[in-house]
Amino acid sequence: MRLGRAVLYLKEEHKGYKQNNVKMKMLERGKRGQVTIFVIIAIVIVAAIIFFFVYKPNIGRVFSNDVNPAQFLQSCIGGDVKDSVDLLASQGGYANPEGFILSNGVKIKYLCYNSEFYKTCVVQQPLLKEHFEKELEELLRPKANDCVNKLKAEYERKGFSVSASQPETKVEIAPHRIKINFLAPMTISKDSTETFKSFEVDLGSEMYDLLLTSTSIIEFESTYGDSETTLYTQYYPNLKIQKEKFGEGSTIYTVSDVTTKESFTFASRSLAWPAGYGLE
Amino acid sequence: MIKKIKTMMSKCLPNHTLQCVEHFEHPKVQNKRKDFLIFLFMLLFGIFILLGIGGVLAAQNNNPQVSGNTATVCCEKTTSGLFCQDVPAEECASDSTQVPTACESTSYCRQGFCFDSSEGTCLDNTPQNVCNAEGGVWSEEKPAQCDLGCCVLGDQAAFVTLTRCKRLSGFLGLQTNYKKNIKDEVQCVLSVQNQDKGACVYDFEFDRTCKFTTREECTLGSGVNGTGVKGEFHVGKLCSAEELGTNCGPTRNTVCSPGKDEVYFIDTCGNPANIYDASKVSDKEYWSNVKDKSESCGLGSANANSQNCGSCNYLLGTFCRDAGTAGGSKPTYGDNICADLNCKSTQNGKSYKHGESWCIYNDEGTTGKGESSVGSRFFKHICINGEEVLEQCADFRQHECIEDKIETSQGDFAQAACRVNRWQDCTAQTEKIDCENSDRRDCFWQPGVEFQAKKTEDGKGKIQNGVCLPKDPPGLKFWGGGEAKGICSQGNAACIVSFEKGLFGGEKCIENCECLDEGWEKERSDICTALGDCGPKVNWVGQEGYKPGFKITKSGG
Repeated sequence: MRLGRAVLYLKEEHKGYKQNNVKMKMLERGKRGQVTIFVIIAIVIVAAIIFFFVYKPNIGRVFSNDVNPAQFLQSCIGGDVKDSVDLLASQGGYANPEGFILSNGVKIKYLCYNSEFYKTCVVQQPLLKEHFEKELEELLRPKANDCVNKLKAEYERKGFSVSASQPETKVEIAPHRIKINFLAPMTISKDSTETFKSFEVDLGSEMYDLLLTSTSIIEFESTYGDSETTLYTQYYPNLKIQKEKFGEGSTIYTVSDVTTKESFTFASRSLAWPAGYGLE
Repeated sequence: MIKKIKTMMSKCLPNHTLQCVEHFEHPKVQNKRKDFLIFLFMLLFGIFILLGIGGVLAAQNNNPQVSGNTATVCCEKTTSGLFCQDVPAEECASDSTQVPTACESTSYCRQGFCFDSSEGTCLDNTPQNVCNAEGGVWSEEKPAQCDLGCCVLGDQAAFVTLTRCKRLSGFLGLQTNYKKNIKDEVQCVLSVQNQDKGACVYDFEFDRTCKFTTREECTLGSGVNGTGVKGEFHVGKLCSAEELGTNCGPTRNTVCSPGKDEVYFIDTCGNPANIYDASKVSDKEYWSNVKDKSESCGLGSANANSQNCGSCNYLLGTFCRDAGTAGGSKPTYGDNICADLNCKSTQNGKSYKHGESWCIYNDEGTTGKGESSVGSRFFKHICINGEEVLEQCADFRQHECIEDKIETSQGDFAQAACRVNRWQDCTAQTEKIDCENSDRRDCFWQPGVEFQAKKTEDGKGKIQNGVCLPKDPPGLKFWGGGEAKGICSQGNAACIVSFEKGLFGGEKCIENCECLDEGWEKERSDICTALGDCGPKVNWVGQEGYKPGFKITKSGG
């Protein structure tokens, strides 16, 4: 019996313990739940703050009330970007070409050339797209510097203290667009300090396709001495290729997009034929 | 009887006429008469200057194009900034490498393949130093990276290198699907044509949405739009189908789809639906199931500038374009129409389809009969996007234009090309069959005339039954050098005419009497003009030369 009671007591005691234990566990869970919620909220707040500062570095008390650097720089350089692209596109991808043919006062770079008669041309410019990007970067660098200096002067005129380093320009030509990233680190201080890192100019353009088509024409010229332009137009409805042949054997190609009216012009001299037998 | 001999000499000379060597505009486009006097003055002045300084420069001609007689070097960079050219040493930049051998024998200018590792393209015939300087990867033999395979890009395909495929897939947000085993471009294109297409329904950001795509993109790989989400594929269904219960619905807008000719309706999610048909803008069935082109409006027609039907046909000369830029009429719905790309009433009065090309010879004289005028050239005209574009064939008639027609189910399709004029060995042919061998040369046989001479006094002269002449005589640089004279002199001839004096005076022609006729002069003159820019010719605008280009002299008793 004693043993039986004792067991019963123990059972009851155990039951009580279990009840207390459940209550305690519930309390503990409640506390843990609260902590978890607080932790989640904290993470969300921290993430939001990080997100805000990482992705919106240009929005600040300094910028919101005064000149917006990104907008200022974009409007300062936006027109120059288009002009620079047009200049390069009209001269075979070179700002100051060497080895060119002069046509209507424009120096058009030979992208494929052979000075001799009866021989196919030697490629002068492989990796044309990459070269165009480099030339555009070179062309825009002084303009970007100028714009940063103007922005700096604008802030200083308004009583801000500005620390800016030389901007770096990175150009990427992709299908349907030209993306230009200007890395222009700048710290602007007055009552508070704001940091500005970079801005981007995105130009809708079909230059990527025009450059790749031109590369294909260069390959034709260097292999066969000429290219059949109607083949391209049959495959690419928006493409127009004009070919102008000159007496001494040079050809000027103008590859254009009929919808955007953009064009790329370059020259080639391949498999040139002399007058008569060409014995002189 | 006393025999008397007279010699008739015909001398064929280069034609000194006015020639516009580089006429960049089409002859018809230029205002010929207006510019002619200015041009004449400039040309005479130019010739005067050239004659004056010609003697001085003759000894040291540095024109790379006439450097045949000068020893050349392989120049890494010329003074004019061109790479890897075989030029005279003085044309080579001072700081440039130069070796007195052909460029193909040098290590620095050896040509090979240049691989662009970022774009995945290969370019042949590139010198090693040029490729390396630009950051390319050069190899003499075709590298494995340049091998082509089939790159599947959704419902389209490209026959490109593996690197290029990765690049293109990246641009489109697709997972790379490259089939190395397909070794043919046609097979590559065909491999994607029979793919199942339909509505791919998937959940994204708590929405049941849809993308019109292929079964493969919907259910395999990295999922819809590369999101990792795989969808439920409904073959032959449009995303706007009500039964799919997606957030995509019909609109009244249209779109031009990449790689497609036609104008398509577009749903609220931006997916292309069926071909634009204004009468079916509210037709639920038309917005639910994919319709084949054969079930669409305006079947068999180009539907050029149609306001109600967007079933364009590129082979018939129409293509989806924005109505504003195409200059066509505004469609009933949306902004796109089937733009008319064909050319109406071209320069020769005919109409041509987009992509057709044809030959034009507008200059003075005719072609194919040895009568080309000085400075004339062939032109190839092309119809591109409703515009007549012209391409010059090589100057000096070193190229001629040839044309033909391809018979298609939609009618004839004209095709032209500039091809080398094979005139060089015409005069060396002595047999008609060789002369007219069109596989080898472009010549014609002139019967009944001879090149050199009639039967000579001693009877040893060979009598020919005709001469072989270029169909389209080449242009010559008659204003300088001796080559033009050399070519024209092939037409020189001496005809020895024998007379017999009678006992009581008077004389009677007994041999080669036809040389005394005017017909003989005409005959010699025709041969002369057919050799090149020789003889009594006119230039491409019809102006006669300022020298006769032809001389007949008589000698003997």
